[in-house]
Amino acid sequence: MIRTSELTIGYTHQLLTVDNVQLNTSELYFLIGKNGSGKSTFFKTITGSTPCLSGKVLLNKQNVSSIPLATLPTVVSFVGPHFPSVDFLTVEQYVGLARTPYTNQFGRLKDEDHKIIQDSLSIIDIEHLKERFVTELSDGEKQMVAIAKALAQQTDIIILDEPTAFLDYSNKTIVLNILQQISIEMNKCIIISTHDIDMSIELGCSYLVVNKNKKRIQLVNSPVKKEVLLALAF
Amino acid sequence: MTPAIAALHLFVGQIHLSIDDYWNGLFSFDKSSVNEIIARDFRTPRLLMALIAGACLSVVGLMMQTLFNNPLAGPYVLGINSGSSLFVALSIMTGVPFFASDFGLIINSLFGAFLFGLIILFFSRIVRTQISLLLIGLMLGSFISAFVAFLQSASDAQELKVFTLWALGSLQKVDFDQLAYIVPIALTGIASTFFIVKPLNALVLGEAEAKLLGINIKTTRLIIIILTAILTGLVTAFCGPIAFVGLAVPNLVRILFKTQQHLTLIIASVLIGSIFIVLCDILIQLLEPYFMLPINVLTSIIGAPMVILFILKRLK
Repeated sequence: MIRTSELTIGYTHQLLTVDNVQLNTSELYFLIGKNGSGKSTFFKTITGSTPCLSGKVLLNKQNVSSIPLATLPTVVSFVGPHFPSVDFLTVEQYVGLARTPYTNQFGRLKDEDHKIIQDSLSIIDIEHLKERFVTELSDGEKQMVAIAKALAQQTDIIILDEPTAFLDYSNKTIVLNILQQISIEMNKCIIISTHDIDMSIELGCSYLVVNKNKKRIQLVNSPVKKEVLLALAF
Repeated sequence: MTPAIAALHLFVGQIHLSIDDYWNGLFSFDKSSVNEIIARDFRTPRLLMALIAGACLSVVGLMMQTLFNNPLAGPYVLGINSGSSLFVALSIMTGVPFFASDFGLIINSLFGAFLFGLIILFFSRIVRTQISLLLIGLMLGSFISAFVAFLQSASDAQELKVFTLWALGSLQKVDFDQLAYIVPIALTGIASTFFIVKPLNALVLGEAEAKLLGINIKTTRLIIIILTAILTGLVTAFCGPIAFVGLAVPNLVRILFKTQQHLTLIIASVLIGSIFIVLCDILIQLLEPYFMLPINVLTSIIGAPMVILFILKRLK
């Protein structure tokens, strides 16, 4: 669960204010807004990469700024917009890196970790990619693998920055449906930034909208109308 | 394979030595036996230095490639060796006796490597692309070469000779007694790298992602630069600036082992790096009757084309 309180975000000067919102587990939220409107900054703030300018963010009732760096990845996982292209890194090793916050000094994976990696791959049905190098994956497969990595990190909160950006129509549908299924069946709070408004609206979720006039992020609860979203954001 | 090649190294060379010569030279040294002197004071240190130089430089290259997310990074291309060179040049040519001692040489070499490690780290925070960082490294190298050339023109014949010989690189300048501290320092440095296997594995994904996985980036960077300074500085102080090994060996290792698990990569870099320099040195010894080939010249002849191959393969 995520709660914001009197939150303002930005780097040196204020970029956006955020309404006091509560985002629950078992729910999927979309974040929409213009390019450069501060969506990524919002994500960086709630994942603890960038400090809040004022106010606070609570992740599972803990203030994000007071969670130690080493345990933060056990609370929130983040899937960035760019999938790393690293030579000779297998899907299994890549997903295994999600276990980093749980392993000992030497990063050794235990049987338990291997089982979690295995389960994460099988939940989204990509066990067959296990031995493949990440550089050999298609764009659709990359996104699936990135989601599997977030699952292996076993956090209540998962944040994805434009996961559908480089995908074709069918892969967009698959990725969004899988994420909604995960949020419901595994009790996760998932936030996705996207420009695919038409597609996302079919899932019937709530929206976080960067209001272009008021420079603030507000929550629009489901059911939402496309016209309303467009008027607020664009 | 490494022991076999190391053993081979002991028995090439112009003067043939037997196993007994080595055994006696090391364990019941007889000062009157020429063969035992060669075994104890020349061949054994030379072999150990070759093994150490290859292992240290390769591990350093691996760490730097992972830290900077750049397969073409290495202590030589990023100017770390040059940093050592500059301070060694200063130590040889200033004429201050302390600087010219073994201890002074190591301290200067380590300091130069550390300083230039910090400089490169600073630039890596600013530049965005891999190529820019490499160009900055090369420019630092050129800048230092010019400065060293200036120092050379201002120094006397004896100093010039000492420095030029050092700069060509040699595995033969260490003796048995110096190894007593070179070996422990090198082994400690290499062993320390096992403690940063976990951050290194995560850093493969880039600093931003590693940080999101809970890795303390600042500490990791500092540890890598310190280990780089110790290992590069140590080798450079005694062998001169050996080029390309640190760049080529980790790439070779990744291609051979096809993994990004750094426990494997470190062990393999140590083994293959030491084999590489020992093989180079065997070649040098075989050619000795005809001409003297400095180690730095040979590693450049082999290493530079290898690097061009890697680049072609990546840009293809």
